[in-house]
Order: sequence, then C-alpha cells, then structure tokens
Amino acid sequence: MGSNIAGLMDFVLNNRRIQLPQCRPQTTLLEWLRSNGLTGSKEGCAEGECGACTVLLVRPHGTGSKYVPVNSCLLFLPTLAGQEVLTIEALNENKQLAEAQFAMAEAGGSQCGYCTPGFVMSLFAEQYRPGRAGPCDPHSMGGNLCRCTGYRPIRDAALSLGPAPDDSFRGRLSSPAPSMIPVSYTSIEGRLERPGDLAQCTTFLKKYPDAKILAGATDLAVESNLAYKRWPVLMSIDAVAELQVFQDAADHVEIGAGLPLSEIEFLWEHAPLVAREWLPLFASILIRNRATLGGNLGTASPIGDAAPMLLALDAELKLGGANGIRRVKLQDFFLGYRKTQLEPGELIVSIIIPKPFPNQARFYKVAKRRMDDISTVAACFAVNFDADGRIAQARLAYGGVAAVPIRVTEAEQSLLGKRWDELAVKQAQAIIASELKPLSDHRGSSAYRLAMAQTLLKKFWCER
Amino acid sequence: MNILRKVVETFAHVMPDRDRDELIQRHRFLGQPISRLDGRPKVTGAAHFSAEYPVEGLVHAAIVYSTISKGAIVAIDTSTAQQAPGVLSVITHLNAPQMKVPPPFSVGDSPSSGTTLVKILNTDRISWNGQPVAVVVADTPEQAEHAASLIHPVYAAEPGVNSFEESIPQAKQPKEIMGEAPEVKKGSADVILKDSIHRVDLTFTTPPYNHNAIELHAAIAIWDGNDKLTLYDTSQFTAGTAASIAGVFGLKTENVRVISPFVGGGFGGKGGLWPYTQLCVLASRITGRPVRLTPSRAGVFRIVGGRTPSQQRVAIAAEPSGKFSTFIHEGVTAQSTDNHFPEQFSFPPRHLYAMDSYRIAQKVTEVNRVANTFMRAPGESIGTFAVESAIDALAYELNLDPVELRMRNEPDRDPVSGNEFSSRYLREAYTMGADKFGWKNRPAAVGSQRDGDWLIGQGTATGTYPVYRVVTAARLRINADGTAHVQTSCQEMGMGTETVQTQHAAERLALPMEKVKFEYGDSTLPAASVAGGSSQTISVALAVHEAADNVIKELLSLAQKDSESALAGAKFDDIHAAKEGIFRRDHPHLGQTYVAILKHAGKDFVEAEHKTGAPLETMKYSMHSYAAQFCEVRVHRLSGEVRVSRWVGAFDCGRILNPKTAVSQFRGGIIMGIGMALTEETMFDDRTGRIMNPSLAEYHVPVQADVPHIDIVYTDIADPHTPLGAHGVGEIGITGVAAAIANAIHHATGKRITSLPITLDKLM
Repeated sequence: MGSNIAGLMDFVLNNRRIQLPQCRPQTTLLEWLRSNGLTGSKEGCAEGECGACTVLLVRPHGTGSKYVPVNSCLLFLPTLAGQEVLTIEALNENKQLAEAQFAMAEAGGSQCGYCTPGFVMSLFAEQYRPGRAGPCDPHSMGGNLCRCTGYRPIRDAALSLGPAPDDSFRGRLSSPAPSMIPVSYTSIEGRLERPGDLAQCTTFLKKYPDAKILAGATDLAVESNLAYKRWPVLMSIDAVAELQVFQDAADHVEIGAGLPLSEIEFLWEHAPLVAREWLPLFASILIRNRATLGGNLGTASPIGDAAPMLLALDAELKLGGANGIRRVKLQDFFLGYRKTQLEPGELIVSIIIPKPFPNQARFYKVAKRRMDDISTVAACFAVNFDADGRIAQARLAYGGVAAVPIRVTEAEQSLLGKRWDELAVKQAQAIIASELKPLSDHRGSSAYRLAMAQTLLKKFWCER
Repeated sequence: MNILRKVVETFAHVMPDRDRDELIQRHRFLGQPISRLDGRPKVTGAAHFSAEYPVEGLVHAAIVYSTISKGAIVAIDTSTAQQAPGVLSVITHLNAPQMKVPPPFSVGDSPSSGTTLVKILNTDRISWNGQPVAVVVADTPEQAEHAASLIHPVYAAEPGVNSFEESIPQAKQPKEIMGEAPEVKKGSADVILKDSIHRVDLTFTTPPYNHNAIELHAAIAIWDGNDKLTLYDTSQFTAGTAASIAGVFGLKTENVRVISPFVGGGFGGKGGLWPYTQLCVLASRITGRPVRLTPSRAGVFRIVGGRTPSQQRVAIAAEPSGKFSTFIHEGVTAQSTDNHFPEQFSFPPRHLYAMDSYRIAQKVTEVNRVANTFMRAPGESIGTFAVESAIDALAYELNLDPVELRMRNEPDRDPVSGNEFSSRYLREAYTMGADKFGWKNRPAAVGSQRDGDWLIGQGTATGTYPVYRVVTAARLRINADGTAHVQTSCQEMGMGTETVQTQHAAERLALPMEKVKFEYGDSTLPAASVAGGSSQTISVALAVHEAADNVIKELLSLAQKDSESALAGAKFDDIHAAKEGIFRRDHPHLGQTYVAILKHAGKDFVEAEHKTGAPLETMKYSMHSYAAQFCEVRVHRLSGEVRVSRWVGAFDCGRILNPKTAVSQFRGGIIMGIGMALTEETMFDDRTGRIMNPSLAEYHVPVQADVPHIDIVYTDIADPHTPLGAHGVGEIGITGVAAAIANAIHHATGKRITSLPITLDKLM
C-alpha cells in the first residue's frame, strides 16, 4: 500500500484506491477534490477557519480506527500517501442518508447549504467517535462556521443523534487504520519527504538544511494557499515515531512534538486544569486534530498559544539533530522575532513538563472572538506556595505582548516571599507596566494589551 | 420628491385595494413547518454552487488588484507573467477591448445590477485600493494565481480620500435616498430640543462591515460562438446580471443565460454585478475557452463592497410623560467616488414613533474605497442602533421603563407620510416578547445584578424593516398528468424559497406538494427581481397567484366547452381550486379534476405567464415589519468581555408561511446582529485605503460558542394588504439587535457605548 516510487502514490478515497497523478507537492486535498468532480467539499477561506472543506481521515485508535475530521484545505496531497479519506460523497453511497445528514436536513440545519457538508462531516465523526455515549456534542462542530442559521438547528441536529448505527462505517472502525508510511515524493515543482524515523529525519535535514519542516501544516498550508509561498523541499514529520511519544511519568510529562493536540487531549488523562482549559481556546477541533506543539513552538510566532502555557509550566524541549539530542529550557528557546535556538538541520523532538504541577496555574486568552481566534493577549500564570502560604515560585508568561512569548521575570521576583493578596498583585501589575512594551496593531493597541496583561493577573488572583 | 412620483402616489391613494386573498386562511401547507425541499441535495454535497458545474475544457482566471487607492497606472509589465507556466492570456487596460459600463442597480422594468461606474480594465485611473488592474488566464487556478503575483504595476499615486472620518466635513446631501427625500422636517426641532428639560443628544458611529457569506463569489463563463454566453454566477439577481452583462459586452439580453439556483449565502453581497463576473466573461471571450474565476476571500473583500460606515446623531426631547416633543436623527454615510448608494439609515424614525416635530436628514461623503452596497437590512440595521440606543438613554433620563417609553410613543398613523399602517402589531410583539423573556423581573437600576465577576444586564430595542414588493414574472403550467410546473428566475440563498413557493403553489392549486415542481435560478425563466430587500417571497407569490388565476380561468373555459360539464355555466368567482381540480364553491362535490379537463380537451397542458403590477400598495399604506428584541448580557468586570447569554426575538411580520424556515431566518439575522454589535468590523488602513483584515480569521463572524439560546415568538397576524398576508423575513432579524446589546451592556455596567463594535477595550 502507498507506493512511494517518486511521483507515484495512492491512497484510499471513499473506499476506492486512487492513484494520484503528478502534482505540485503543495496541492491541497481540497483543490484536488474540487477539480476532480468531488465538489461536496467546499472552499470558504482556504485557511482552516470555516470548516466547509471538512473531510475524515481514518486514523488508528487502539487496535481499531477512528474518524478524524480535518480541514482538507490544509492537507498537502502527497502527505495522504497510504492514508484513508472519506468525503461527504461517501456518506450516502447506497443512496440512504447517513443519520447525520438526515438530522441536518430535518432540523433545518442546512440553509444556504454551503457550509453544510462540513458540518455533516464533523457531526458524523462525532457520532462514530469510539467510546462516546448519549447525544452528540454540538461543540464537536466548533470548527465549522455558519453565517445563515444562527447555529440552533445545527445544534438540534447534533442533540437528536444517539449512538452510531450498526453499519459499514461503524464496522470499518474495528479494523486497523493504515499506518503512516514513509514517502519520498518528487515532481518537477518540488519534493516532499516523509522519513520513517528520527535518524532518517536528521540525515535528510543534514542533506537539505533548507527543507521546510511540515507538521500539521495548519500554518504552512495557509502561507501556501494565501501567500502562494513555495518550498522546494518539504519534510513531513508525521511518520516519525520518536515525535509521537507520550509519557506521563512520576516527575514529568513528555509530549512528542509531532503529536496532534487532540491526541494529547486524549492521552493525557490526568492533565492539570490549566492544560484542559487551554486546549479549546487554542483552536477549533478541526485544527487541534492536526496542529502540534512542535509546530506551534517551532514557528516562534509571538502570538502562538502553546508557549505561554509551557513557559508557565517551566517546560523543557528536546531538540534533535545530526549531533544527537540536546535539552533546552523553553524560556531560553526564543531568541527574537521568529528566531529560535534551532540550528540548521535540527528539529523539536518533544516537550517535557516537570511535575508536580504548580499549586495554581491558569491560562487566559483575550481575543476578539471567544473561540477560533488569534490572541490579542494570551497569558498563563503559575504560582507555588511554601508551607507558610507565601509565594515560593511564580511564573507569569505572555503571548502577544512582545516579539517573542515572554515571562515578566521582574514582576515574578516581586511576588516571591509575599502573601498572595491584592497588594502583591498591585505591585506586580506596576512592574509589568515597566517590563512590557507591546506593539499596536489591528488586534489591539499597545495600551490595551498592557492593560490586559495587568488585568489578567488580577483575574488570576481573583480566581485563586 | 419628483412630480411623477407625486402623481403615482396620488393615484395609489385612490386605487382600490387588491381583493383579499382567501389563501390567507388556508393551512394545509401554508403555515406548516415543512422541511426544506433542497435539504437532501445540500446535506449530501450534491447541490452545485456556481463554481462547481462540470464544464469541459475549463481554464482559470486570477485578478491582480491595485495597491493604491487613487492615481494612475504608469506602466504595467506583463512579460514575466505571460511566460509563466500554463498562462494563456494576460489582460490589462492596454489590451482589453472596450466594454460598456453597466447602468446603476435598478429593479424596475429594465433591470440592471451595476455597482460602480469605474471602467474596469478600460482605464488607467485607479479609484480604490483593490481595483482590478489585470486578469490572468491559465490552465490551472494555481498557475493563474502565480502568474498574477508576478505583475507589479507602476503607479503614479495621488492622495486619496481614504479616511471616512476625515471626509465627513465634505459630506453633501444627496438628491434622494431610494426615491425618498434626504431630509424631512416638521416644526422647530432645534428650538424645542434646546428648551426641553428631558432630552438626550448622542452621536453614534458604526464601522464598515462585509457580508462574508461562506461561499466565495465565483463565476464560470462560456462563450458560445460570437454572440451567446452561458454564465454560472453566484448571483441574487439573475435577470439583472443577464441584462447588465449583455450591455457590457454588446450582446442581446436573451442571448445571455445566467444560471444561479443555489447561492451559498448572499446577504446583499451577491445582489450587484461585481468586477469578477465581468472579468470572467472577458477572459472567456478573449481566450475562447470556458473560464472559471473564484477570487480568494481576500479578493472578495477587495472587489465586493460591504456596508458603509456611518456617523449618526440622535437627539430626542420628551415631555415628563415620555411623549416625544421632537426627534432629530441626522448623519453621514460613505459611498465610493464612483457609485451612488447613500445607505438609508434615517428611515427607521420616519415610521416608528409619534412625533410632534422632527428633523430627519442624511448626507453622504465620497471615499476612495470599493463601492458600498446593501448588506442585510441596509439602513435599518445601523439606523436602529443609533435610534434605539438613544431611546434607551432617554428612558433612563425620564426614569421610565424602556418598553413603556416606546409604547407611549406608538403612532396611530405613519408619522411622516400620514399614511395608514397596513398592519402594525408592535405592541403585541412587545407583550409576547416581554412575557417570554421575563422582562417584568428586570431590576430598573443599572449595575444591580452580578454573578461573581460577571455584571449582568438586560436590554431591549425595536427592530423595523419595510415591506418591499417588486415587479416579478412567473409562468405556471398544469400538465395532463395533473402535475404543475412553476417557473421564475428567482434564487434560493437558503431562505426557503423553493420550499415556501412549492407550499404556496400546492395550496393555490389544491395539489399535493409532490405534484408541484418549482423551477428557478435561471435568467431564461420569466424574470424575477433581486432576491433582496426581503421582497422575494411575496413578490413571487403574487406573480404565481395571478398566473394561477389565469390558468384556472383557461381550464374553466376548456371545461365549459363541454356543455355536460359539472362546471357548465359557472363564473370564475363561483369556482375554486380543490381536490386537484376545479370545483363549484356552492356545490363542493361538483367539479372536474385537472386531469379530466385536459384529457377531455385533448391538451398536454395549460399555461400562463404573468407579470405583476407596480407595488402601489406600498405608497398607499405604511407597510413595515417589526421586532421587539430582548437580550441579556454578561460583562466581565475585569476584562470587559461581553457574552450574550439569552435572547428573545418577538416579531410582527404578517403571516408566517413556514415556521421552520422563517424562524431560522430570524435567528440568522439576530446572530449577524450579534456579530455587528460585538466582533465584526472591516478595518481600513487610512494611510493607504487598504483593508487590513480581509479574511475569516481576522474578520470575526460569530462562531457557535458566541451564540446564546435564542427564543423566537411571532404575532402571526396576516397583513391584509400583502400577498398571502405575509412579509419578507430576511432582514428584520438583524434590526434592533446591536441596540438591544448596547442597552443591555449599559444596564449591566452603566456604560453607554455609542460606537460599534463594542470591543473589550471600550469597556475597560
């Protein structure tokens, strides 16, 4: 399965094996579907915002499989080699509507109808989600935008659905999903490599130090689709087992840099409150099904939401390269705007969060919209107390207020040894004002960002 | 007001009303919550939107957009683009053939859907940042986009009027606003205001907004020979697009076929002819190939206009009883340098309240931006924000309940025209809404409710939108097998058009719904008007009604050729459609089925095409829909986050034809209003006139998590002067929403926010 002879590859689309012709490595699945007559998947934004292009990947779940809804506008076609995909067209192949389709039509969840297939796919995946019980969760469609209905009939459709029927779609889930095979794909317009392990990765990177590292592509595909950016060589890390680790040990948690956020959510049974509240704010389910911590940290965006939390939790990174593995404190990782400690040929392997977790830690995100938005200011605060109830450790981390994700170390210092009271908060707020010089842009003015940075600390204290 | 209009209005007042339609009382299909007929093709992905029609040999076009707002193109080097892989043609103002500029938008007897007078690709002049300056045609979309990215025109930039705020001092009063006077006044408003003890005087601002239907604008153009064109275009107005494109390219209108049954959301943004359509047709004409042009989301922002920004002043003086003694509403909107659309924000107070004196006036200013256009409830959505916020402020000034203050100013007749209301049950809507919401439990004092760090408040506002009916044609055919076909060129944007018109025709002809086929979305069908202004449902309904009457008349005369017929001797008024045929009213068992009549007559079908008359009833009566919006908000004391936690919309919109589709329209309007109030805004860089947030990631339409539980109630009282007793319901939902939220925020926090959107920073 999944021939990786240069220029040739196949994958299973709607239960049929498809041989793909030569294409640009950055051709998206959505582009390909729509230009090959499968127009049920829609394009509304080409950047993973609207969910109208949602398709399902069949991915491993224990010994069986699960349906993972993803934005097809963010999937580069060669990365599907050997994979299995379902589009809206597969759902009623025997002319009978899937329950999710019937429920949407009956509830009036389809109005203009353009966003509808995307909602149906998200809802279908939810109904067939292994281990789910009771009515379907409407928030499983949180990555899908509707401009017509006011969402109510769509929510009603979800709530009307119980367990998945005993059909071939459910039957499929009891057999294994395809594994992530190595790929070496070249075409006249570029190359996409998917090494099978870390050693192959670093060898490849040594040979092609300018290769662009591709994880969930939730950023790269946007640059590709909207800014028409082209990379001669792309390297996908999806098949690298070392980047997919998850270990919840006694004194630390290790999270593979290539693990999609929703996998982290699933695997991290004893995640602290701060991580659980961070996940839904990070991005929609459709994005979380692809986005990785390694990607979010590696792009070094000052408004990435992973860094503030990981800074507050005092995380360390394992970086891998031709010379082996080295460990770097996350707080030392960011060097400047979109600059990191990564050497050419090096990549993030995993993130290590020390245990025990702080006594109090919370994540806050201020954005123009409550969900599915880019942070104006993100903040994560963590404090530890001594036996006396005084502050023994404090880490106050921010995104969106400087060129890099940043900790306000002077304000942290000011808290040490103090009682956790309003006076301490006020003093720290004053220091924050001198430590931070945020930029003004269309997401918020400098003054507003600073005010938010200060106010969020008070919110943290109020919610102690 | 011009003389002709005066004459027509006088005539309208003496004209008798249309006979009351007996279907107003029928409930077999009308008034039933029937699931939409287009549901199945939409949930399976089988429904084709304009970019999705399978066409052999399709090639693709991409647009190059100007990066200055005003000036001239000095040089445009296309040589690199010409040589890029797959490129078939690069068209600029230097090699484009002359095209006519389509006449401005009109829904009259000669429909047109022009949006700008700029000579797209026929001029070196630049009028807005984003104006198309070249179009590239290539084998694949990617090749076209890539080649387009290689073109960098050299401009001689001139200072443009980029800032709306800075342009306000140059504002002028337009000649007319949608046929109405730009200024109406009575008494000495300023003097009364000055001398009044109880008054408010507030200035409001609203930003530009964009429709952001989820479907991107798209067209496929196919030239057939020298003089025929098929055009798949996402259009709310197939007839207007066909006529306009024919004019631009010198074709006969009947040789241009525009196909657009399903529109993936419009909200006004697909009502006009925007440059991508013209450029797609141009590209097809030049290359001789079928061409598809789908601008990116950013591209749509650059070439499809949105809602104007506005600055509005509302000043109201009142007696201690609450009765308004004067009412001033004035302000400014923007239009581009090359279009004429002063958005009618000053319409709501012309019809809403009893006023002894008033001055209601609006001006318009010109900016170097993409032409503004209608966006859901043009005028009323932004107008009600200002008016209904000011009335709320006045209620506090007078220490009166905001609902009570409004009820004390309910007018008996239209306050400006003096016309009788055709149907106005706003009072009833308020009663229903207040009951459902539990308004009586609301404490009067501001800032008096709190849940932890969340401050809670409740607000209300009136919504209003006119009843528009437009001239529409329809063809109706009854076939020998007893089925019926109804045809008109109108659109299904999701409102439920196909479903409701099928319900109507089935009810009208006494057929089961399965025997009625409603065909639409094709300009070669009898011409419907624009699917806009909440006008389509009743406009099509009247055309179908009158066409059906003609068909029944003909069937009756066919039946009566047989002297033995049970219908012999019956006049049209003696019979009606019943049991899939024609039966006597006085002897309900006497009659014949359509099948029997046609079989006996030896005919395959009987059909009639009918075009409705001008909407004179809207000149005789003051005809409007109304809403009483109630909401609860929670405002975070520290962060200023606003969450809408509860909503009740109570509507008075005549008879509701299909509760399922109508309620969804109301809710959709309300959430678009929530976006307008809290998160949506198109941001222009005033230095360059460029839109800074042209994406769904940065222009924030509400997501599921933003939307509270929304309860809808409605009066369901038929308007005796409209077809089927119904009103359109597409726009009314958004009106009053932003004000209700602002008023609830004031109730929660004591802060009166007068500029939209109400972002967190404004509450800090």
